[in-house]
Amino acid sequence: MRLRIAVLSTLAMLLVVAPLAAQEITIWHAYRGGEKDAFEKVVAQFNASQTKIKATTLAVPYDAFADKITAAVPRGKGPDVFIYAQDRLGGWIEAGNTIEPIDFYLDKKLTDRFIPSTMQAMTYRKAVWGLPLNYKCLTMIYNKKLVTTPPKTTTELVATAKKLTNASSGTFGLAYWYSNWYYHSILFNAYGGGVFAADGKPNVNNAANVKSVDLLMKWFDKDKILPAEPSTALITSLFNEGKAAIVFNGPWFLGEISPKIQYGIAMLPTVTEAGGKPLAPWMTVEGVYIAAPSKNKDAAFAFAQYLTDVPSAKVMALSGRQTPANKNVYADAQVAADPVMKAFRAQVDTAVPMPNSPEMTMVWSPVTTAMNAITKKALAPKPALDKAQAEVTEAVSRLRKK
Amino acid sequence: MSFRLRKTIVIALALGGALAALLLHLLESSNVNANARAEAERAAIVTLRAISDTSGWLGAEGEGVRAAVASWSGGAEQRKVRISNTDNRTIEASSFPEDVANGELPRRMVRDEKPIYDLGQELASAVEGNAGGAAATKEVVALEWSADGWLKIATPIFHEGAVVGIVQTVSKPAAGATIAVPWWPLAVGVVVICVVFLAGAFMIGERKLPLLAFAALLLVGFLVYGGRAITGALLEQRIAISTQVAKQVVEEKGKALAVMQTAAVAAPQFDASLWDSDRFLKPRGAIKPDLTIDRAKIAKVVAGIAEANRSVMIAIGLFAFVLFIFVGSESAAKSWAALVKYREAYSYVTPAMIGMLVLVFFPFFYGITLSFTDQNVYTTNSPLKDLWVGFKNYTEILGDFNIMERTDAGLQFNYKNFYWTLFMTVMWTVTNVSIGVSLGLLLALILNTKGLAFRSAYRVLLILPWAMPNYITALVWKGMFHQQFGVVNQVIQMFGGTPVSWFERPLTSFIAVVATNGWLSFPFMMVISLGALQSIPADLYEAARVDGASKWQQFTSITLPSLKPALVPAVILSVVWTFNMFNIIYLVSAGEPASSTEILITQAYKIAFEQYRYGYAAAYSTVIFMILLAYGTWQNRVTRATEGI
Amino acid sequence: MADRTRTGDTPHLPLHIFLLIFTAISTYPILWVFTVAFSGKQSLAFVDLPPNPTFFDRLRGVIPWPDEVSLANFVSVMTDQPFGRWVFNSAVVAAATTVVGVAMACSAAYAFSRFKFPGRRLGLMSFLVSQMFPGTLTLIPLYIIVVQWLQLGSSWLGLILVYAATSIPFSVWMLKGYFDTIPRELEESALIDGASPARIFFQIVLPLAKPAVAVTALFSFMTGWNEFILAATFMDKEPMYTAPVGLRFFVSGFSEQWGFFAAGAIIVSIPVVVLFMFLQKYLVSGLTAGAVKG
Repeated sequence: MRLRIAVLSTLAMLLVVAPLAAQEITIWHAYRGGEKDAFEKVVAQFNASQTKIKATTLAVPYDAFADKITAAVPRGKGPDVFIYAQDRLGGWIEAGNTIEPIDFYLDKKLTDRFIPSTMQAMTYRKAVWGLPLNYKCLTMIYNKKLVTTPPKTTTELVATAKKLTNASSGTFGLAYWYSNWYYHSILFNAYGGGVFAADGKPNVNNAANVKSVDLLMKWFDKDKILPAEPSTALITSLFNEGKAAIVFNGPWFLGEISPKIQYGIAMLPTVTEAGGKPLAPWMTVEGVYIAAPSKNKDAAFAFAQYLTDVPSAKVMALSGRQTPANKNVYADAQVAADPVMKAFRAQVDTAVPMPNSPEMTMVWSPVTTAMNAITKKALAPKPALDKAQAEVTEAVSRLRKK
Repeated sequence: MSFRLRKTIVIALALGGALAALLLHLLESSNVNANARAEAERAAIVTLRAISDTSGWLGAEGEGVRAAVASWSGGAEQRKVRISNTDNRTIEASSFPEDVANGELPRRMVRDEKPIYDLGQELASAVEGNAGGAAATKEVVALEWSADGWLKIATPIFHEGAVVGIVQTVSKPAAGATIAVPWWPLAVGVVVICVVFLAGAFMIGERKLPLLAFAALLLVGFLVYGGRAITGALLEQRIAISTQVAKQVVEEKGKALAVMQTAAVAAPQFDASLWDSDRFLKPRGAIKPDLTIDRAKIAKVVAGIAEANRSVMIAIGLFAFVLFIFVGSESAAKSWAALVKYREAYSYVTPAMIGMLVLVFFPFFYGITLSFTDQNVYTTNSPLKDLWVGFKNYTEILGDFNIMERTDAGLQFNYKNFYWTLFMTVMWTVTNVSIGVSLGLLLALILNTKGLAFRSAYRVLLILPWAMPNYITALVWKGMFHQQFGVVNQVIQMFGGTPVSWFERPLTSFIAVVATNGWLSFPFMMVISLGALQSIPADLYEAARVDGASKWQQFTSITLPSLKPALVPAVILSVVWTFNMFNIIYLVSAGEPASSTEILITQAYKIAFEQYRYGYAAAYSTVIFMILLAYGTWQNRVTRATEGI
Repeated sequence: MADRTRTGDTPHLPLHIFLLIFTAISTYPILWVFTVAFSGKQSLAFVDLPPNPTFFDRLRGVIPWPDEVSLANFVSVMTDQPFGRWVFNSAVVAAATTVVGVAMACSAAYAFSRFKFPGRRLGLMSFLVSQMFPGTLTLIPLYIIVVQWLQLGSSWLGLILVYAATSIPFSVWMLKGYFDTIPRELEESALIDGASPARIFFQIVLPLAKPAVAVTALFSFMTGWNEFILAATFMDKEPMYTAPVGLRFFVSGFSEQWGFFAAGAIIVSIPVVVLFMFLQKYLVSGLTAGAVKG
């Protein structure tokens, strides 16, 4: 008898609940650790805030993320929403049936909540394809024990760094992954360089880029303030051992700093040699994209809107230690009081969104080779970049049909 | 009197003929339907472009476009037209019933109409991409057939050189319905050749070769007959179609001028012959500016189509003949008999074989197919037959002999060249496998010493390089080779040497990757050898010792030959694996300096995932496969590995 | 004196010296992994030197030993994520891969070794050939087969089948080579005694082939144990991930937490070492000699 009542009441509950069954949406992301916890907290808040949509998440390792999206989404097996940096955006758009354009949903009120350059990163061929969630860019991080006043110009930077460099013990005034084109962006952007011309054609060997590499080589070769063969692992080791006084690095680096090191963050200095223009890092923006084959696009967009709103941004900033693209969150008292948030918010104003076109993927390998050749002094800057330019141009032309 | 041969051959002929008939029928059906559809699409594009140009002259808004919609809607094809302005996000004019139901026109688009807006944006971006530095050319006419024969088609509206909107039409051309092609003429053909064969066979008698030749002759005749019926009078057809289109262009031109007159806007000078264009808005050229047809151009197009048809016919012929020979030469019967006779053996092999077929060979054939196309990131959704390029990728890879290049520093190796990479890959493989095998075997022999203390401890410690995920150990090795902070250079400095910049020169970089991989690969060979050493009966050694054989003689005449059955396949496989060892190169040297230590597999990866050339990368992979296959065949011949003992 | 049969007359001391040196070299990079894992930090294996280093400073620098020993990395790895669960998943998948792979390979290898049938050479060659095609572009076709057609996405079975199929060619060749060395007379006499083929295989051939089965089992296990990209692509639920997928979470983009990765890598290596210790005794069983005589 008891059993029958239980069954009946369950049935009754099902009948009541069924018509109200929430739309389920799935979100794929590549967050881990604190970022993941904060993200899941926001998703839980979203689920609690309303009853119509139920969001579930899946963390996918960064290394597998792009492949997984490319394999699953066009075949209708993917998520409704996914979050990833803008560098693959162009490729997915061109491959088709992967990302849904969201131009149509946008209005001024919504777009105004974002830092304008982050919105630019989500734009491909004039259409907007995602809402910017968090941005990442390089800034200056220094060891407070070694550097009392962070340098404001490159002249000061070199002077400070020279004093703190001792090659015999492997101690360096400045350390960053300068042979990596992404890290080198701070210099060529300061000179007004870049990798594509206004018409989208590759332009790797422009005069500004050459000048920027010349300056880098002066630091490395003449001033000798930089370590050889840099890599993320090396920079982390040096900074944690107190052997690198100043590093140029991104927000991800902060979590890897040893608790023993007292660090400060400051704006990247201005470049005296480039007429006082600031070092301008490339910015990557994690976008919230709606999957093209999703059956719940409206729900997905509602979620994307919630995720990029101030309350969610605040959680991600304060407990996830991420830097939100929502500019209004920086007015919040708690966020404004946070030195890290403040520093990155200031730095992002000089940042330039990294190109999101598929042609960008063809740039990495040739410029990496060029930068390695230059820093190993196998080639001079100009011929090395000329060679890279020729390779990129050829790679791009190979794809042109008809 | 026996009829066995004649029976077999007539069955073969019937089967081959039936296969050919089936394929020919499929080809004909698809040709007929595709041609009809292509024709309808061509006509629809002319109309669409007439509407689009007219709307463009009118700025894609106002009374004029409403007049245009009214003028072009309806008709025999039940055409519906929608003109939207993407700048204002409005639907300006439409004869789609659902648009009017959603509210009075012109009006802003509602949420449900997002696809219209998105399509407009997509086409606008295609226009921008085609004009700018984008890598691929994209179609500017969107086109789609619904299952019930409606043709949906759309193109952007240009106003003063910029895209301002989109025009969409839906119509039901006569060609929308599937045309049934009669199958019986081909079936009759098959029956006829069989009957003729039987009649002739009585005269020939039970003689295998003449019978086969006669049947083959009949099959060829059937193929020629079938092919003729299909390719038919192409040129006349095409000229008739173009004449029809030219007439349509004249009509549409009249309509356009009439609409402009109604709107009281002066029409600019324009060339209506351009309306007859492909989906890239490139003029087909069949119609001259004076709106008459260009016969020479059409003849050229027809020649191309005939060429394509011929190669398909040859393929069909080959299939039919393979089946015919297989059955006719009694191979089929023999195969079946073998299958029955050895069913036990086959049933043992089947589970493994099925797994391999599905999970290993399918991806393999997919890759080979891809290698004949020029698929890239822009064309992943196009059918492969549209991307077919034949052997172009292969000639590009193998035909590039720029092994040396001239630079400021003088003549240098071109490290991106296939042959350099191949050379590097061979060096890499030979060095690694030699290190792996000799170290592995040496250690196994030592560890196999009876009564050696701590044997199992050594064994466990020595397999650690294999047990630990190589992703991290490879990076530890990379760290060990760091110029300033690496262990290797510190040890060199401890003994007063000067540090080496390992990744600066190809040779030192190569040494670094080989050291890493040698370290990773010896435990595998050691374990294999340990297992294989057990298959050697101890009494063999005893007998040898009694005969006074030395240690070395025992090793070369007992140990090595006995290890062969296990070691040879292990060596072949480890050659194959090392040849394709991606992780170590990618993680440790990353090809530095200047791609000189790249091996073929990492190069293929870069082509696929950094240059997005999937077809080319697949061809690269296939070349790798061919090289390994050649190696395997050679090795097999030398060692007789597959013969067993 | 019985155990001084084979190379027993070689003096053991030089062998020990050689083995000790070689073991030291071969475990050296691994010791760095341990150092990183137990350091509690996230740096990766670089030498830390004082100014103007002496010989002994350098010597201290190249000896892998952390400045301070801490279990912090291990604790974080096990508690941040359901890593234990993922290791368990890996164990299930790899164990099943071993069973399925070795079973199919044994059956096929036995046929290749004992029967002469048409297509035998072709079959054997095709197993070998299958290893020659590089795997760069196979992710998408495998995804189509396993997830779209077989509907085995987010299931262990899908992974097990793919891994087993990957390990079969090697296992077949290895086992076939070994079966070939087992004298047929044993089976023939059993056949005369009226034993069924299955009985012959399980009771006579398989016990004799233990070393080869042990090798192929270890190999199949490793195939399933360390694979990363397919597992990450096929699984759509976090609790279904395998250990290598979990490991890769620690190095993403510019953020590389080598301390966590090293700790995780050590945890992941333990089952392999344990399995090897267990299989060791089969690698040195040496039953053949006795059996032939008997």
